Amino acid sequence: MSIATLLRNSISVIGASLLATALGAASAFAQQTGPIKIGLLVPLTGPLATPGTDMVDGFKLFWEQVGNTAGGRKVEYVIADTTCNPDQAITQARRLVHQEKVQIMIGPLCGHEGPAVAQVSKETGIPLVMDTAGADDVTKWNRTPTVVRTAVSASQVGHPFGDYLFKELGARNVTFIGQDYTWGHEVTLGIVQTYKELGGKVAKIIWNPIGTKDYGPTVAAIAPDSDAVVAVVVGADRIRLFEAWFSFGMDKKFKIYGGYWMHQDALPQMDDRAIGMIGNSLHYATGLDTPDNKAFVDAFAKKYKRLPSWFAESAYTASLWSRTAIESIKGNVEDRDAFLKAMRTATIKAPRGTLKMDEYDNPIQNVYVTRIQKINHPVIGSVLINVPIKTYENVSQFWTWTPEEFLKRGPYKR
Amino acid sequence: MHSSILQAINGISFAALLFLLASGFTITFGLMRVVNMAHGAYYLVGGYIGLTITRYTGSFALGVLSGGLAVIPLGYLIDRFLVSRTGENHLAQVLLTVGIAFVLGDVALHIWGGDNLKVPTPIELRGAIELPGGIIYPTYRLLLILFGIVVGLSLWLLYRKTQIGAVVRAGVDDREIVSAIGINIDWLFVLVSALASFLAGMAGVVGGAFLTLYPGAEWEILVYALVVVILGGLGSLEGAMIGALIVGLLDAYGRWLLPEFSYFVLFGPMAVLLLFRPRGIFGREG
Amino acid sequence: MNSYRVILFLTALAAALIAPLVAGQYWMSLITQVYIYGLLALSVDLLLGHAGLYSLCQASFFAVAAYTTAILQVRYGYPTIVAAPAGLVAGTLLAGLYGCAVRTRGVYFILITIALGYIIWGAFYRWASFTGGDNGITNVPPPTVAGVSIASQTAYYYFVLGVVIVCAFGYRILTRSPFGLSLRGIKGSESRMQSLGYRTTMHLYVAFVISGAIASLAGVLYVYYNRFINPVAASFQISVEVSLMAIVGGSGTIVGPFIGAGIFLGLRNWVSSFFEMHTAVMGIVFIATVLWAPSGIVGFIERWRTGGARVKGQR
Repeated sequence: MSIATLLRNSISVIGASLLATALGAASAFAQQTGPIKIGLLVPLTGPLATPGTDMVDGFKLFWEQVGNTAGGRKVEYVIADTTCNPDQAITQARRLVHQEKVQIMIGPLCGHEGPAVAQVSKETGIPLVMDTAGADDVTKWNRTPTVVRTAVSASQVGHPFGDYLFKELGARNVTFIGQDYTWGHEVTLGIVQTYKELGGKVAKIIWNPIGTKDYGPTVAAIAPDSDAVVAVVVGADRIRLFEAWFSFGMDKKFKIYGGYWMHQDALPQMDDRAIGMIGNSLHYATGLDTPDNKAFVDAFAKKYKRLPSWFAESAYTASLWSRTAIESIKGNVEDRDAFLKAMRTATIKAPRGTLKMDEYDNPIQNVYVTRIQKINHPVIGSVLINVPIKTYENVSQFWTWTPEEFLKRGPYKR
Repeated sequence: MHSSILQAINGISFAALLFLLASGFTITFGLMRVVNMAHGAYYLVGGYIGLTITRYTGSFALGVLSGGLAVIPLGYLIDRFLVSRTGENHLAQVLLTVGIAFVLGDVALHIWGGDNLKVPTPIELRGAIELPGGIIYPTYRLLLILFGIVVGLSLWLLYRKTQIGAVVRAGVDDREIVSAIGINIDWLFVLVSALASFLAGMAGVVGGAFLTLYPGAEWEILVYALVVVILGGLGSLEGAMIGALIVGLLDAYGRWLLPEFSYFVLFGPMAVLLLFRPRGIFGREG
Repeated sequence: MNSYRVILFLTALAAALIAPLVAGQYWMSLITQVYIYGLLALSVDLLLGHAGLYSLCQASFFAVAAYTTAILQVRYGYPTIVAAPAGLVAGTLLAGLYGCAVRTRGVYFILITIALGYIIWGAFYRWASFTGGDNGITNVPPPTVAGVSIASQTAYYYFVLGVVIVCAFGYRILTRSPFGLSLRGIKGSESRMQSLGYRTTMHLYVAFVISGAIASLAGVLYVYYNRFINPVAASFQISVEVSLMAIVGGSGTIVGPFIGAGIFLGLRNWVSSFFEMHTAVMGIVFIATVLWAPSGIVGFIERWRTGGARVKGQR
C-alpha cells in the first residue's frame, strides 16, 4: 500500500470514528435532556392515608423548592396509590415501571410493602429509593442491589427506646401493645430486645392487626401488674388507642409511653390530654431545634398550614438524597449503577441531621425520644408538637452489635 | 373475671349497633324479598352526612337524626328506579346492589377523603362511668346499649302491637293476600324501606362515633350484619335481636381469646348452624 | 361448531399467539392476567350459568391453591412438580368441604358462600404466624415444568394460554355431557329433575367441587404469574369481581367469562389512568349489565347477529 492510500485510509477511519462518537454523544445527549421520571408509591386511601398525605406533601415541597429540576434535566413525577397493601403496591410498582416508564421509584410507605416493591425493583432493574417502608429484612438479610433505603430500619428506632425504657423511665414489668405486621413486630421486638438485655421483664405483648376498629378489648387485656405500657401503633389505630385509653379510664391505672405512637400527623386528631406524654422514639422530631429543621418545618407550615411529621421529612429527604445523587452524576439516571453508587456514597444534610449510608444501604442517624408539648408556632399558632428530650447519636441499624452478630440472630419474629 | 365482663359489655354494645343495621336489612327481605347489599353503603353515607352536620351545627343529636333522614330519599330512589327492576331475582339484586354500593362508596371517598373520621360526640358523653366491680367503661358505649334497647323495643312494639305492624307481618307472611284485601302494598313497601334506610343511616352516625368512618367500613359492617341476619333468620325482627347479641359476643370474645382465629369463631358456628337449619334461628320460608 | 364459530375461534387463537410479538411487556402481562381471571370467572360460571347457583366464595379456592403452592416453594423449597399439584389438591379439598353449602338454595346459598369466603380470608389475614398475614409471601420462583424453568414473561404467557385452552376444551366437553345437561335441568326446574329421579343435591355437589378445582388451577397459575400472594386474593371483592366478569361477558358460555375478564381488567386499567373514581365506574358497569344486558356481551352480540332470535346459552 502506498503512503497516500495509508494516509487516506487513516483519515477515513479517524473521521468515521469521530463522526460515530459525535453521533453517539448526540443521541446520549438527546436521552439525557429528556425529563427524569420519578414514581412515588404512597397510600392515598386506607388506614394509612394520613401519613401518606404527609409523604406526598413533603415530596412535593422539595421538588417545588428546587424548581422540578435535577442534573440539568426536568423532573416529572407520578404518584400511585398503594393503599398500604403489598398486593396493590406490587401492581402499582409494575404499572409505574412498564406503563409510566419511570426511571426511579421512591416509596412505599408501609413496612410490609417494602419487600413487595423491592421484588419489582429486582425484576425490572429500576432503582428503588425505599422510603419510609422500614422492614428490617430489606437492608439486612434480603438485600437487593437496586434498592437503597434513605429512611430507617424498623428496629433501629426500637433499640434505643428499650434502653430509655429501662434506664430513664425505670420500667421493670411492661405490657407492650404492638401492631401486627412487619414494622410493628420489628419496632416492638427491637424495644423488647434491648429492654430485656438490661434485665427488664415483659408482662405481655398484645398484637393488633392494622385497622383494628376497637381498642376496648386491647386495653382491657393489659396485665394488671404492669408498671408501664408501651404502644407501637400505626395509622388510624394511633387515634383509636388514644381514645380508648382515656375512655376506659386506663390513664388512672397505668402509665403509657409511646414507643411509636403520637407522631406529628396524628396529633391534630388527638387533644391536650397528650401533653406531657412520651410521644415516640424516632429518627426525626418535628420540634428538633436545628437551623436546617427549622427552615424545613417553617417552609412546610407556610405551604400546608400544619406541621410536618416524620413521613413528610422522610419523603423530603429521600428526594433531597436522590437529587444530590442525580446532580453528582450529571443527570445521567439511565446509568443505574452510577446512580445507586452515588446514593450509597453521598453525605446528606437533611432536616433531621447529617446522614450517610452504612454498607448495608441504610442510614446511620440520631434517634430522638420525644415528649408532647404545646407551643405557639409563628405560622400555625397554638399547636401540639413532638420535642426531643433525649438524643441517641449516630445509631446504626445494628445498634451496638456487629452486623455479623445481628444477622446471625435472624429477624425479629412474632 | 374483670376482663371477661368488660369484653361482654364490649360485645353487647357492638351488638346494639349491629341490631340497628341488621333490623332494617332483615325486614326488607322479609317483606319485599329484596337482598340489599348496599345497606352497608347506607351506613357509611348516613354516617358521613351525620358527621358533617354535627361538625357544622355542634349538635350530635341533630347529626344522628340527619344521617338517618338523609338516607331515606337515597334509599327510595334506589328502590324505585333500580332495585324494582330486578323483581325477585336475588342474584340480580345482589349484583345490582353491590354495584350501587361501589358507586356510593367511591363518591363518599371523593367527598370525605380517605382518612378515618370520627363523628364528634358531645363532651358529656366522652368520659367513663364506674360500674360495680370497679370496671370503668366509656359512657358513650353504655348509652349505645341503651339506645339499642330503646330502638329495639320501639320496633318490636310497632311490629307486634300496632295495626300497621300487623299489616307488615301479614305482608311478610303472604304478600298476595294483603294486596288482595285492598291494602296498598306499594305504600307499605315504601314505608318499611324508609324505616330500614333511616335505621341504617343512624347506625352510621352512631357507629362512626366510636369505630370511625373510612373507605371499606361499609363492607366490614355489612358482613357482620349478614351474619346476624343469617343466624337470626331472614325476615325476623326477634332473629335480628338474638343474632346481633350472638355475633357481638362472639366477636368480642373471639378477638380477645383467639385473635388469630377470630373470623372463624364468628363464621364457623354460623356455617354449622346453617347446614342443619338453613333458615336460621327464627327464620321462616324464604 | 358451525363454520362461523370455527373461524372466530381460529382468529382468536391466532391473535392470542401473535400477541406477545406485537404487544409490549405491560400488555402481555395484562393479557396473561385476563386468562387467569377468566379461568376463575369460568369456575363461577359453571355454577352460575349452568347450575343456577351463585357462589361468592370462589376466591377462597383460588387463594388456598395459590398459598399452598407459594408456601411449599418458598418456605420449604419443594419444586413445582410437588407444589403445583399440591395447590390444586388443597383448593379442591376445600371445595369438597365447602360443598356442603349446596344443601341450601337461593339467597341462603349466596349468603353462606359469602360467609365461607370470609372465613378463609380471615384465616389468611389473622393467622399471620403461618401465612405471613398481610405481608404475604414474596419472591415465588418461576415454575419449572418438565425440567425447564418458565422464567420469562413471554414463556409464561404461552404456558398459561396453553393451559387455558386445554381447560376450555375440557369445560366444553363437561358442559355438553349428560352431566352438564342435568345441571341445566336443575337450573331450569329442580323439582322436575327430582321427580325424574335425579339426585339433584349430589349433582350440585359434584359441580361445586369441579368449579373449586378450576378456581384452584387459576390460583396456581396466578401465584406463578404474580410471584406474590397475600390475603387480598381471598377477598370478597375478588369473588364479586369475577362473577361480574362472567355475567358481563356472557354467562352460560365458554368465552363469556374471558371476554368479561378482558373488559373488566382493561376498563379498570384504562379508566384508573385518567379518572380516580374507577370503582364507581365499575359499579355503574355492574348496574348497567344487570339491568340492560343480563346475557352479557356474548348475548348482546348473538342477539345482534341473529336479529333478536334465540340467545346463546339457553339450550
